[in-house]
Amino acid sequence: MKKCFPILLLLLTVSLFFLVYAYSQEDMRFINAEAFENPQRPPTVFNHDEHNELAQIEECNECHHIYDKEGKRVEDESSEDQSCSDCHEPKASGRKPALMKAFHINCKGCHKEKGKGPVMCGQCHVRRPNVED
Amino acid sequence: MIHFKRLNDLLSRKYWAPVSAVKEHKGEAMNTLYNFVSGPLAWVAFIIFFVGCLYRLIRILVLVHKKEKYIYTYMSWKYSFRSILHWVIPFATVNWRKHPVLTIVTFAFHICLIITPIFLLSHIILWDESWSVSWWSLPDSLVQAMTLIVIGSCIFFLIRRLISPEVQYVTFASDYIILAIVAAPFVTGFMSYYQWFGYQVFTILHILSGEIMLIAIPFTRLSHMLFSPLTRAYMGSEFGGVRHARDW
Repeated sequence: MKKCFPILLLLLTVSLFFLVYAYSQEDMRFINAEAFENPQRPPTVFNHDEHNELAQIEECNECHHIYDKEGKRVEDESSEDQSCSDCHEPKASGRKPALMKAFHINCKGCHKEKGKGPVMCGQCHVRRPNVED
Repeated sequence: MIHFKRLNDLLSRKYWAPVSAVKEHKGEAMNTLYNFVSGPLAWVAFIIFFVGCLYRLIRILVLVHKKEKYIYTYMSWKYSFRSILHWVIPFATVNWRKHPVLTIVTFAFHICLIITPIFLLSHIILWDESWSVSWWSLPDSLVQAMTLIVIGSCIFFLIRRLISPEVQYVTFASDYIILAIVAAPFVTGFMSYYQWFGYQVFTILHILSGEIMLIAIPFTRLSHMLFSPLTRAYMGSEFGGVRHARDW
């Protein structure tokens, strides 16, 4: 039994690793829309890694931004360990936009600026997404 | 095996579902078109609409002042609003009661026509993003029902124009075009909302047809949006002050 223990521990560690991997951004197909109480549109189709590869985004904080109390963007910090809804509430407060508007500005704003990526409502809020794609 | 795969591909949603968001970089021409119709062209349409409406209103008042000054002798706020009030309430006039179906359809149509675009969530979101103004919205399901009411009413008006002799007597070819101009934003909006097929095309057509309608309002028969209260005020005043009769 004592001999088995390290192997068991190793197996457990490995399986835990796979579990974390399975739930990580790797498989993210939709934006988490749980914070919205009565959503009127289907959740946004979004594949985190595929998006960043296509958009050639290296820095997390290009999207996962941090703003200080004065409303100035903090350059070197990033908020990728948080949910968007941790900061952005359903309603706007001060200069901080409400959650939905924050999503729209962050995603569509950049798409418009770069002239790349979806800009029409239904290009992201897809009714019958082909997620196997 | 290859054939099975092809069949599977065809049966899968790949070919009829809207293009997934990440693959969207292929449709950049569509996006450019969208940006144009929802940006500069929207400004043009709104400016022509508001300036055009103001122009038509000022012009009609100037014309009255020049040619029909005598109507000032009997124009009255009381009789004007009495007439308007009767005609904006369903079945409050003899004419409304004589045509019950038309009355129900026309009230449902006009209410939905005006409420739907102003209180649709997607429109409010776009205004909020552009100008940071927003107000409350109706649930999408309700707006969809109201859209169907507008489309159904347009079909009713079309059939009425085609079969009713007294309507045909005052119908020009342009009236059919105007009816199409009114129906188009709702049909395309409906198609765009459900994303059955051609999502991007329908969305662009939706915006474009809405802009055509806005531009058409001041310069076609749709201008009854501006003039109907004036017409009613005039009729009400003449019937009340001169003929001492009801105009409802």
